[in-house]
Amino acid sequence: MLIGISLISFFIMHLAPGDITSSEAAFNPKASEESRQKLRELYNLDKPVITQYGLWLKRMVELDFGNSFASHQRPVLWETKDSKGNVIKGLIQESLPITLLINLIGIFLIFSVSIVLGTISAVKQNSIVDKSITFFIFVAFAIPGFWLALLLMYWTGVVNQWLPISGLHSLDYKSFSEIGQFFDLLKHLILPVSISMLSGLAGISLYVRNGMLDVLHQDFITTARSKGLNEKNVIFTHALKNAILPLITIVGLSIPGLIGGSVIAESIFAIPGMGKLFYDSVLMRDFPVIMGILTIGSVLTLIGTLIADIGYAWADPRIRKGLVK
Amino acid sequence: MKQIFLLILPLIFLISCSKNNSEVIDYNDNNFSSGGVLINAMSAEPSNLISMIAGDSASSAIASKIFNSLIRYDENLNFTSDIAESWKISKDQKTITFKIKKGLEWSDGIPLTSADVYFTWKLITNPNTRTPYGSDYTLVSQARTPDEHTFIVTYDDNYAPALDTWASLEILPKHILENEDINSTYFSRKPTGSNYYKLGDWVSGQQVNLIKSENGVLGKPYINKLTSRIIPDTSSQFLELSAGNIDLMNINPIQFKRVFPAKPKLKNRTALYKEMGNGYTYLGFNLKRKPFNDKRVRQAINYAINKEEVIKGVLLGLGEPISSPYKPGTRWNNPSLKPYAYSPKKALNLLKEAGYKMSADNFLVKDGKALEFEIITNQNKQREMTAVLIQRRLQEIGIKVSIRVIEWASFVNRFIKPGDFDVVVLGWSLSLDPDQFNIWHSSQQGPGQFNFVGYDNKKVDQLLEKGRRELDLDKREKIYHEFSQQLLDDSPIVYLYAGYGLTAVNKRIKGIKSPAPPAGIYHNSQDWYIPKSLRRNELTN
Repeated sequence: MLIGISLISFFIMHLAPGDITSSEAAFNPKASEESRQKLRELYNLDKPVITQYGLWLKRMVELDFGNSFASHQRPVLWETKDSKGNVIKGLIQESLPITLLINLIGIFLIFSVSIVLGTISAVKQNSIVDKSITFFIFVAFAIPGFWLALLLMYWTGVVNQWLPISGLHSLDYKSFSEIGQFFDLLKHLILPVSISMLSGLAGISLYVRNGMLDVLHQDFITTARSKGLNEKNVIFTHALKNAILPLITIVGLSIPGLIGGSVIAESIFAIPGMGKLFYDSVLMRDFPVIMGILTIGSVLTLIGTLIADIGYAWADPRIRKGLVK
Repeated sequence: MKQIFLLILPLIFLISCSKNNSEVIDYNDNNFSSGGVLINAMSAEPSNLISMIAGDSASSAIASKIFNSLIRYDENLNFTSDIAESWKISKDQKTITFKIKKGLEWSDGIPLTSADVYFTWKLITNPNTRTPYGSDYTLVSQARTPDEHTFIVTYDDNYAPALDTWASLEILPKHILENEDINSTYFSRKPTGSNYYKLGDWVSGQQVNLIKSENGVLGKPYINKLTSRIIPDTSSQFLELSAGNIDLMNINPIQFKRVFPAKPKLKNRTALYKEMGNGYTYLGFNLKRKPFNDKRVRQAINYAINKEEVIKGVLLGLGEPISSPYKPGTRWNNPSLKPYAYSPKKALNLLKEAGYKMSADNFLVKDGKALEFEIITNQNKQREMTAVLIQRRLQEIGIKVSIRVIEWASFVNRFIKPGDFDVVVLGWSLSLDPDQFNIWHSSQQGPGQFNFVGYDNKKVDQLLEKGRRELDLDKREKIYHEFSQQLLDDSPIVYLYAGYGLTAVNKRIKGIKSPAPPAGIYHNSQDWYIPKSLRRNELTN
């Protein structure tokens, strides 16, 4: 499976016209075509694609993701040490934690806010509250993120100076205490996380709302109510549990998405995350980096699907029993 | 959770309220003092700080503050001393002797001598070094260092651009790099240089800090620390500038002409500078294809394009028409040349001469075929807008034009390299050395070479060969003036415009020359200073 994915992505990437030499100094008259051909040879780009794939696979077997072409041979995945003990950090190693942090907070917020909104909507179906929630999540979904981001940056950063506009740290953050550094980071993350959260709300809330409505109309809820259980108990213990069951699949399937960042958000907020790294690598035709990210992404997709299946079986006895049969 | 919801709602709906910042700063304080921090914004992160290996402008911008060359350009773009105090060209013009200043040091205190220069030359000509710039230096047949302060290079043949190549080669320290692999050395992220600044720290993807060097070979700058923040999006850069978090950024014509004038408060504390940019935009014909092999057709199209209109429309007037591939105001620019003035009448006459007739539906036709072609360009807003304006003007005189916009790497590899295009809108740099051999000599038409329009003129070939061998500046000037004239007449490309470089700088930064000298405002950045009262409190040290 993995070999299939990597083979396809490798060939698609190499089918795109151009290589690292076509962007690096491509139109500088001081750089001659001979020098560029020489560079191609040094990067093995002159060999047939299938040979290049073989070389790549050979390295992959040893879990060696190689070195980036575009950023002076920096390792793609993890840090290496040179003879003098200088540590050169890997590209993914530096970008991944930032993206992971933003996405984890984002997903946590999306799910918690969505479950609340969806439940309220379902319980108060067709009321003003339900309608305004639906209206709000659709507006949030439809607003172009970059536009809202710029407006919020202007309002909270320029006009009022409440929040930092861009970046991950204040310029002098190294002089802060550890707690200070943490809060500094949080402050920088408020805008990027809320922007990424807003567009995700709609899907999940509606999912919860519809799931909830389905469940509320089922017989066992009527039974529970007729047993004389109070409404709170009915909704939270009996209905909600069943309604959010399908969310497990969504959580599992969003695992590969955890390592992908949004190029636009990262550019606007000047966050050095995975989205920007991937986008720049594609533009620069930096094959080792592209392949590295795609490989990690596909591994995570496979793992995510597996976790979703297992999680579902764990949560829902009906499926477990089906498996045993 | 409800609280979060309540927090977000007002964020969305209350967007346009504004509050006054009541800080009062007197920007007229001109009291000179050394110190302070300048924060600027860069759109891209440097790939590495060894500029012979890096190809990107972000890298060279930082590296040039850390390293020195043998010689450099002064504010009027003439050569002046850098590491070398003087240089002498031999009678036969084949040997250049550089005398290196005495008592120079790297920032770590080790002496800087001719051995470092020789080492750098060896490095860039080494076939294992991953540099695209090596070819100019392999022309040196012999390099010698008779003593610590002399560096002599001999060329097999006269090579006039030699001085320019030595002005662009940044000298690297032998004592650090001698036993390192230049292609992967850590030095590229932690360099030791000899210029005004040394690297403080580099936070990946976020900022690069440069700190004043105490023993720079050209002296000490006034500003203590340069922080370059990496902010890819220019709108975000602009917001940071508006909030006063950064001091300097490059701006575009719309910001220069429309945004700043509309914000009086921002304008009060920001100074805007314009300088001649480093490149020009042109419309290039594929001379190997009909009908562009006919000079009259090319000239006609040149007459039919209104360059003033393009400059007004695309650059909001912040650019100049040009008539030679050199910076206006420098000696290589031939002042007697004038751009083709807009004249649809002349264009139509030339096209009629070339055999075109107006058809019933108002299109130019020759031998039953309409005059139509496709303009291709890469994803660049200014170039796209330029193409649209040109399309309209050409349509008016009966030429059918379509436009296609293509991603850069595909553009180069699918269209430019195989020569598969009709007409392109592209740019070239206004080079400081007048040599244009690689771009216009008829021998440079192979795939991947730069004469991709296929220009072939024996007279120009001769001039370019002569100009390359002539080190006498006055004689050289004549040669290139004649070359420019021939090029303009043949019209293998239509010069559209050379845009200005536009910079916005917070007024707390003093000492910037205005109007900008030919070398641009950054030229004297070591003499910029920030008066004490205008420094940021939290960052003063």
